[in-house]
Amino acid sequence: MKETDYDKIFSRFKGVESDIIPMLLRIQEKEGYISEEAVMRMSRFLRISENQIYGVASFYSRYRFNKPGRNSIKVCMGTACHVHGGKFSCEAFEWQFGVKIGERSDDGKFDLQQVNCMGCCTLAPVVQINEDIYGHTLVTGLKEMLRKYE
Amino acid sequence: MSKGKSSVSIIIDNKPFQVPKGITILEAAEQNDIYIPTLCAHKELTPFGGCRMCIVEVEGFRNFPTACTTPVSEGMIIRTHTAQIQAMRSDILQLLMSEHTSSCLVCAENEECKRYSGTIRKSGITTGCRYCSNDDQCEMQEVAEYLGAKEIVYPISYRNVRVEKEDPFYDRDYNLCILCGRCVRMCQEIRTANVLAFKHSGRKTVVGPAFGRTHMDSGCEFCGACVSVCPTGTLSEKARKWEGKPDREVVTTCSFCGVGCQMRLLVKGDHVIGSLPVIGDMVNDGQLCVRGRFCVNEMVNNYQRLVRPFKTYTDIRVEILWDEAITTAAEQLKNCPPDQFGMVASPNCSNESLYVAQKFARQAMNSHNIDTTARSYYGSGFNEFLSLMKKSVSLDDVRKADTIVCIGLDTRFGRSVIGVELRKAAARGTRIVTFNSRDHNLTLIAEKWLQPTIGHEAEVLEKLVALTKSGKAAAAPKLPADAGVSADDLACAAELLKASKSCVVMIGSDFLQYENSDHILTTIEQLAKNPAIGVMPLPAQNNLNGTFMMGAYPELLPNGCASSSKASRDKLGTAWKAKLPSAKGQWCESMLQQGSKLKVLYLVGETPHGDKVADFTIFQNIYPPDKAIHADLMLPAAAFTEEDGTFINGEGRLQKIRKAVEPPADTMPDWKILCLIAQEMGIKGFDYKSVKDIQKEIASIVPAFKGYDKPSRAPGPIKCDGTLTLSAPGVENMPKRSKKYPFLLTGSVVAHSYRGFPLSLYVNGAKTIFPEGVIEINDEDARKAKIKSGDDVIVESGTLKGHWRVSVIARQPRGTVHVRLRLGETVSHNPHAVSMRKNDV
Ligand code: SF4
Ligand code: SF4
Ligand code: SF4
Ligand code: SF4
Ligand code: FES
Ligand code: FES
Repeated sequence: MKETDYDKIFSRFKGVESDIIPMLLRIQEKEGYISEEAVMRMSRFLRISENQIYGVASFYSRYRFNKPGRNSIKVCMGTACHVHGGKFSCEAFEWQFGVKIGERSDDGKFDLQQVNCMGCCTLAPVVQINEDIYGHTLVTGLKEMLRKYE
Repeated sequence: MSKGKSSVSIIIDNKPFQVPKGITILEAAEQNDIYIPTLCAHKELTPFGGCRMCIVEVEGFRNFPTACTTPVSEGMIIRTHTAQIQAMRSDILQLLMSEHTSSCLVCAENEECKRYSGTIRKSGITTGCRYCSNDDQCEMQEVAEYLGAKEIVYPISYRNVRVEKEDPFYDRDYNLCILCGRCVRMCQEIRTANVLAFKHSGRKTVVGPAFGRTHMDSGCEFCGACVSVCPTGTLSEKARKWEGKPDREVVTTCSFCGVGCQMRLLVKGDHVIGSLPVIGDMVNDGQLCVRGRFCVNEMVNNYQRLVRPFKTYTDIRVEILWDEAITTAAEQLKNCPPDQFGMVASPNCSNESLYVAQKFARQAMNSHNIDTTARSYYGSGFNEFLSLMKKSVSLDDVRKADTIVCIGLDTRFGRSVIGVELRKAAARGTRIVTFNSRDHNLTLIAEKWLQPTIGHEAEVLEKLVALTKSGKAAAAPKLPADAGVSADDLACAAELLKASKSCVVMIGSDFLQYENSDHILTTIEQLAKNPAIGVMPLPAQNNLNGTFMMGAYPELLPNGCASSSKASRDKLGTAWKAKLPSAKGQWCESMLQQGSKLKVLYLVGETPHGDKVADFTIFQNIYPPDKAIHADLMLPAAAFTEEDGTFINGEGRLQKIRKAVEPPADTMPDWKILCLIAQEMGIKGFDYKSVKDIQKEIASIVPAFKGYDKPSRAPGPIKCDGTLTLSAPGVENMPKRSKKYPFLLTGSVVAHSYRGFPLSLYVNGAKTIFPEGVIEINDEDARKAKIKSGDDVIVESGTLKGHWRVSVIARQPRGTVHVRLRLGETVSHNPHAVSMRKNDV
């Protein structure tokens, strides 16, 4: 995001503490995540420390702090999926891309997230890639699944 | 009925009490010595109600309110430890303990261990288990003991997070954290440094700065306030981690800067193991900065302390006895003509030692050649700084001001106590303007940040002065386009000043080493001509004020009288029953750097300047000088934790230092050593039995010193009629960048020193926060010059060639570089244009 983009977003706010959450929303809408620069600029604008802003932002799981990949992989960690081994899919992805949850693969193609119950427990374990839902996933089938998004 | 207005009657545990209205149940209980266990409540902080350890039963309440958040009301009937409550508390504690798995709470040997320090290991040693550095000083332990917890009943869920050791001064083991939020509240409410925040939510909640950064990278001031309030061993001081519980505490005055905070020295055996702030003090009310909080113990305890006299025989240092040391010194001094004698005292010395030192020079040596290192620190602006100190307002005025202007002030690692006051003021609505060419820790609270281009500071200030004069603003000199401050910003700042009814200008250290510092300071003085504007210069040395009042300068006699005045000299001579020399001498400390040679140089708490500036150098200090530096005689002196005496802080408060421990081995207070030498020389008037005798004598000469015994500590500007005439005037040279010399260089000298030794020499963490020999450059400039952090560079100009290590930081203005000089280094002209290249070897 360029300086002018921030200015545009900030111009809609008064610069008070209660602006934090709506500001974060706007920034994430625009850029897809909350960058360190965004927090720094917010801090200057609101005169609230970066640490406090980050504290508020990290409370809500909806805000992300890593640049998203071109495709987003969400692994369900809800109870049903957990019981059916959702954790293993997650680990498999972590190994494959050499990244941790919340991060982006080096080539920028994928990013990995954990989410809570997606409301289709009968399909557990569930993986979502972009808008596509995959049910009854098996660790061995993950590679095949990704091929579509290369 | 009048009683009914301000107090309420309540019943706690079947006993009736009258307590003030509006306080909480917890406060009411504490006032009446009734114990309620707490973990998150703390008397300095707002109630949080997070741990629920303090639940009580109140008749008429359906649930169990937390005592720390519930105010008392008329007729309340409270029970603090019914069986039901105790059971609930135990349950809450068990939940905490399932995450806070610590053998210290549940070990079966616990009791035996306390008595015999046995161990559960199968070997015959008696050490006890040191599971946690907080052992024996832990509030968690207290509560567990009170509730009789013997085992952990819930499944253990150890967090297993990495212990954070990367920051200086304290470690953080968040496996022990109970999320009581005390540290967060301390950092946010009281320090307002806002480094700590709760991050994430639910079971993942942790405390820390943004993005998993280190504290160093998050604006932490290392004030240690969070460490002090943590009820567990999560936060622990590196330097006294395994020292255990202190035996006693001694209240004294911090000697690391002119703010003069009151501190409690923690003593164990014959060592000072730590220092904590005095709560409720009128200067620092429960706060210290990193130097006072974390540097005292390491600075006075290092094994390298000079503890016996030494004599140098052709470069070999040989330990000698005091008798020999005193006779050697006396012999050399007796054969030294007055004009070839020089004494340099430290502005960190106590008033008593300074007084005796100047009396020694004037009476025993018949010479006015006594000076302090403050002269080279303040350079051309020395007299101007003194003249501002004569007008200084106090911290109380700062607290009342509606506008505060900070000039060259950065309160992160020095005077952060003042920073706390500033942030509190900002929260009250006081308007703050900060004037500094570099980014610093006050920009977030300042309403206006005037960022002049380096070299243009005096000009911008002059314009500000012109603008604040009512009416004739148009006549003000026009600012050049590259001055860095826009006309609008300046006008806006001027408006703030003009509208202000009580404004304080605070002067920090950032411009003091500039060649034109005298110009900058006189301009500030003009600003203060306006009756609504007061100034507050913040001296970097704790007893600068005392050096003036005790007369530790060639130009100044005790009480700040001019030594050129015959009347003053005669008056002092009569008091001393001695004849004082006429003040013809023109010697001052800065001449040492210019290579003038003395017969005897006597350093009282200072380090030598260069090598061999005298035929014979007497070096009296707490550490030996660097191996490379020649000192003929080394005399071991006591540190401020080992002697009694007084200091005068920047605002003019007379404050006491108290002996917390005996001076180690053969060390003695400075004044005592001086007296022994004078007596050996056969000089009368040096037979003081104790500091009391010196204080009595000072009080008869310096009226402001009356009441030294029970100092009122009331602030007041320096009253002294002498001026410092020997400092060279400043030079006005507007540095110009060119193709050949594309960077503007500024340098700052070591300001964090104690008796001539940088804290970073002996205090581990200080090496991180006060780097030396480091040159700071903007990231963009660095990229263009293909330089990265850690590179060695050669910096050159017509008059300078320096080797420094690069640190790339975003806050350095573009086109400028800033070097943190090593002790004794200079940058020739400050500021000036230089070139920079990588040192390829
Ligand atoms: S040391 Fe001071 S500034 Fe740093 S985190 Fe603790 S309270 Fe905050
Ligand atoms: S670190 Fe200490 S003070 Fe801070 S929340 Fe944890 S236990 Fe409480
Ligand atoms: S924090 Fe307290 S209770 Fe926990 S291990 Fe350390 S001493 Fe024991
Ligand atoms: S502000 Fe000054 S006097 Fe106070 S603790 Fe820090 S160095 Fe010591
Ligand atoms: S638990 Fe995964 S969809 Fe509900
Ligand atoms: S002390 Fe009252 S809730 Fe923690």
